[in-house]
Amino acid sequence: MRRRIFQICPAVFILVLLSPRYVLAQWVTWYQFGTEGSYVHETAHVLLCLSMLSFIHEIFHANLQKFRGFRLLVWAWAILAFWNLDAFIGHWADWTLKNPVILGQGWGRRLAMDDFQTWLVYVTKIDHSVLLVPAFYLFYRGLKALVQEPGGEFHD
Amino acid sequence: MISLPLAPLWILEYLGSLLVLILNILSLRLSQRLVAKDPENALWLFLNWLAIAFLIFAVTHMASHTMHDLITYWNLPNLALAQRIFGGFDTVIYVAIAAITLFFHRIQRLYLRMETDHHHLEETSHEILALNREMEALVMERTMSEMALGMAHGIRNPLHVIGGFSHRLMRKTDEDDPSRAWATAIAEEARRIEQMVERFENLALRKTAFFAQEDLNVIVRSTLDLLLPELRAKSITLVSEPCPEPLVGRFNKHLLKVALAHLVRNAVEATRRGGTVLVRTAREQQFAVLVIQDTGRGMPQEVVEKVFVPFYTTKIGGTGLGMVFVRQIVDEHRGVITLESKVGRGTTVTIRLPHRFTDRPELDEFPPAAPPEAPAAP
Repeated sequence: MRRRIFQICPAVFILVLLSPRYVLAQWVTWYQFGTEGSYVHETAHVLLCLSMLSFIHEIFHANLQKFRGFRLLVWAWAILAFWNLDAFIGHWADWTLKNPVILGQGWGRRLAMDDFQTWLVYVTKIDHSVLLVPAFYLFYRGLKALVQEPGGEFHD
Repeated sequence: MISLPLAPLWILEYLGSLLVLILNILSLRLSQRLVAKDPENALWLFLNWLAIAFLIFAVTHMASHTMHDLITYWNLPNLALAQRIFGGFDTVIYVAIAAITLFFHRIQRLYLRMETDHHHLEETSHEILALNREMEALVMERTMSEMALGMAHGIRNPLHVIGGFSHRLMRKTDEDDPSRAWATAIAEEARRIEQMVERFENLALRKTAFFAQEDLNVIVRSTLDLLLPELRAKSITLVSEPCPEPLVGRFNKHLLKVALAHLVRNAVEATRRGGTVLVRTAREQQFAVLVIQDTGRGMPQEVVEKVFVPFYTTKIGGTGLGMVFVRQIVDEHRGVITLESKVGRGTTVTIRLPHRFTDRPELDEFPPAAPPEAPAAP
């Protein structure tokens, strides 16, 4: 496994280094709405969301939900799918927010809630951080259950 | 105007990112344990790769969002380049996770297919093994019966001679001659042995262990009931035309069920969705006739000629023994199987089973029961 990682990482680095400039659009201004980078990032969120839903479908198709470990993974995947939708909306709201009014200094900074979009940015920023923790906790618990329970030998 | 503090957002973000990082490190260790348990398991390999991708995601996500906040709310534009790089990798890792997950989708399908095939192969092997054992026992009993009949026949000839001469001796000796009693005793014992041989012959002819009085209609009906779900799954219409009168004969119902099930399954495989499979039974002189007819793709003449050749198969993963067993089953019943097929029109298999164990009829005597026309609607 380590050998593979050591092979893949330099390969990715060389690929990025030798790529034409337009291929690297996502690295340039991915956080500014309307740029190629922002579209690539948003599309990646949608793709990730779809892949998570596809995995849930696959778990049920293979009847793996009868194992506790896979049930926990399904919940993790469901939260991650929702997180991606939330991130999609949140990124859009954040990147298109014009001249946010920030009051105060340092840790005491406050965001003036001018309009709906500012509220949306604030709420989705909370979601963005909060949703990931239970998702990865369930991923961890799911793997732990698979290590322990006989369902871990499904394909044996 | 309402204003909300940004500090809780940052605390949540940093704390959340840190927790996600820790959870991903722990998850990666667990996934490695799964792989160590079974390195060949595609599911564990997938989860391991996913855990690696999630760990990279945790790092890049934490870095890019932290930097974004530092730039936006803390006026640190010098971090812009680092933010671009980490943010870019964030996007790449999303695509990588999606790719890994979608790749798993295909792998899982392949695994399921392999597993189904494996079970199917196992079941087929068991069926063939059981059938083979029954065939062996059947052949052994038949051989023993034939040997017994041969021995009985061999004993009967000298007995006739002994009995005949003892009777002649009795006639030629006087009433008071002591040798007359001896001749009488020889004649009586010879008759007793003859009676024993006769009983022995009758027993050998019966073959009660494997063949019993059975109604072919009942055998066919019970087999079709079992196969009905397979036909429905492929939207194939089953037309059953049983003979109105019972077709009782000395049959082995288990073997006939195996043979019929194989022939119907073959018909189902060859028939397209919405097609028809006809199963008909009839009486024809001293024979019970069973016809299985489908509206499938049919077979060219060169394939028809090789259908009963052992190990010849046109199916991927087929054993090439199914039809050989079917013919052997028919042979054991002293019956005849004929097959007619036309490409694009379908196949008709006709089996004629004698009601009693008479001599085997000649194959050329019997053409197939019906041409492979489309069967009538039920």
